[in-house]
Amino acid sequence: MSKPDFASVLDDSKVVVCCGSGGVGKTTTAAALAVAAARRGRRVVLITIDPAKRLADALGVGALSNDPARVPLDGDAQLWAMMLDARATFDAVIRAQSRNEAQAERILNNPFYVNIASRLSGSQEYMAAEKLYELANDDRFDLVVVDTPPTREALDFLEAPQRLMNFLDHRVYRWLMTPARGGLKVLNIAAQPILRTIGRVIGADVLADAIDFFQAFEGIEPGFVRRAGAVQSLLRSEDCRYVVVSSARRDTVDEAVYFIGQLTQRDVAVAGLVLNRLQPAFGTGSANSALNAARAARKAGDQTTVLLQENLAHVRRVAEAEHAVIEPLLARVQGAAVARIHQRAADIHDLDTIDALGREIVG
Amino acid sequence: MSRLLVVAGKGGVGKTTVTAVMARASADSGLRVLVVTLDSRTGLAELLGGRATDGTTYEGTTISSGLGPNGTGSIHLRTITAGEALQDYLATQGLARLAKRLVATGVVGVVSSAAPGIDDLLVLGKIKHLVGLTGPDGDHDLIVVDAPAAGHALSFLQSPKAMATTIRGGPLRSQAIEVQQMLTDPDKCRVLMVTLPETTPVNEMLETTESLRESVGVAFAPVVVNNVDIATDVEQLVAEGDLPAGALADAAAYRAERSALHRQAIERITTHGLDDVITLPHVATASMSADDVIALADQLRGVTPKKPRPRKSS
Repeated sequence: MSKPDFASVLDDSKVVVCCGSGGVGKTTTAAALAVAAARRGRRVVLITIDPAKRLADALGVGALSNDPARVPLDGDAQLWAMMLDARATFDAVIRAQSRNEAQAERILNNPFYVNIASRLSGSQEYMAAEKLYELANDDRFDLVVVDTPPTREALDFLEAPQRLMNFLDHRVYRWLMTPARGGLKVLNIAAQPILRTIGRVIGADVLADAIDFFQAFEGIEPGFVRRAGAVQSLLRSEDCRYVVVSSARRDTVDEAVYFIGQLTQRDVAVAGLVLNRLQPAFGTGSANSALNAARAARKAGDQTTVLLQENLAHVRRVAEAEHAVIEPLLARVQGAAVARIHQRAADIHDLDTIDALGREIVG
Repeated sequence: MSRLLVVAGKGGVGKTTVTAVMARASADSGLRVLVVTLDSRTGLAELLGGRATDGTTYEGTTISSGLGPNGTGSIHLRTITAGEALQDYLATQGLARLAKRLVATGVVGVVSSAAPGIDDLLVLGKIKHLVGLTGPDGDHDLIVVDAPAAGHALSFLQSPKAMATTIRGGPLRSQAIEVQQMLTDPDKCRVLMVTLPETTPVNEMLETTESLRESVGVAFAPVVVNNVDIATDVEQLVAEGDLPAGALADAAAYRAERSALHRQAIERITTHGLDDVITLPHVATASMSADDVIALADQLRGVTPKKPRPRKSS
């Protein structure tokens, strides 16, 4: 078997999911992979979530949108990008699944819906998965590259469709739905002791909105659950590849190891690992050898060399510490493509640098 | 002095480290510090010198005591989750038995779905309760909260105001209003923003600060810039030029470039009107330890670190 590389990850998949904890350069890495795939002749769409402003501007996705926009790459490369608008995506799903316009409007205007669409934990993750599914089935594109939300639990993304299914399947939810079918009035439901208590806590109006939402939702849920199931199948299929992004710090490495473990438990393999912001090693010696050299220079009275050797020792100590920290991570991803990216002097926020980063990852 | 310090910042900026350093520095000054985390998996207990399992419960664990000049300083760590805060809250409403049932049947999940933000409000409500117990006669002098990372810090602190609008009546509404009052009272609460000395983290910190000021109205503690590596002497050497090519010169050029970047990033914070900046120096490691936290806390307090005396060079 040939050595795994990023070129085949980008060439042989329909979806590439980038995951990792916050602050490791995940969004930038996703963008770099998308540009690299486009350079390799694929028609690529990149879904970003909450990118830093200058990166968003560089990609031409300065505002939330529900439609991918063409990224101005030179040559024949075809790349589109979008910044996920979770609310608009949710609205579109509701419209698509509703029996008629009246039902859609009743749901979309319900204050409870407005709340869950924008703030239900996991709704952003679910909508990212939903959008991914939609674009993976869009003939304009060969490959979808997606940046997962910066949650500690990157797995929320995988679990989001399941969670929605569970939510719709929940006993309480079903129980809320049943009386409507039996023709009981909302007032009667609200008079149930358990609901009265919930009402006391969250306020009777909020409860009434919630009940109204669930009733308006009637008939939609099978479609929703089917759709969530299809999204989940795609996320677990061979067409979908996972790239873990980490920096060489213990906390982010721990997160990456945890995530890999969770993927493995689900029989999902990690296709690639990108290690960002590594410090270069500078030569072949150790930090201690530089310190010894500094000591010798001090004896010789050469102050400039003392400073230079001490500086070399300092940067090598960091490189050595990083090396030790990433060791267990590398052991977990044997068989995956690995890219080691060195710390750059300045932040990455223009297309040229993203392009260069993409070349560096693919090699 | 404020009684509540909320440590906030984007993921990866070292928010948890800074939480530990602030707690340790305060305890070493003789304060009884309560550290609150919302997530027991951040490694905070170990950074504070405890075991990984310390402070993972709702009631928490006292990790250190007898700190400070008179031995009055201590650090207690506890993890507050929304589920437990809800049970606690219902119990104070005289609904303890029902609370158990609600949690057991999963109704709690539906309740928090019914009003997203309720989780954050319940946690903040518990923190408000704990703030009420601070002071000379209370349990603690200072509460330091490791706030949720990323954009969540914003919605976390915005939740009381949002809930006060969403919920039109009932006890939670009063709770939301009271929490909001606490958050905006500079004598009680300050938000400490953490950032790294690099362009994007500084931009994001400035944006979040502005949003928090406008949408919540919180007061701020000094900004903490973490992991600052300014090496003026190396910068100077590189500027003078004439270094022989090789690893020595490359390493010097690399460090000088980072150093200059860090200095510019800090200048950008001060030119944005945030004059109160605390810098924490870069520690040459990939994995912070409790000893590193103590050393940083000493520097923060202006105490010379207790190092083994360097051997005299002849």
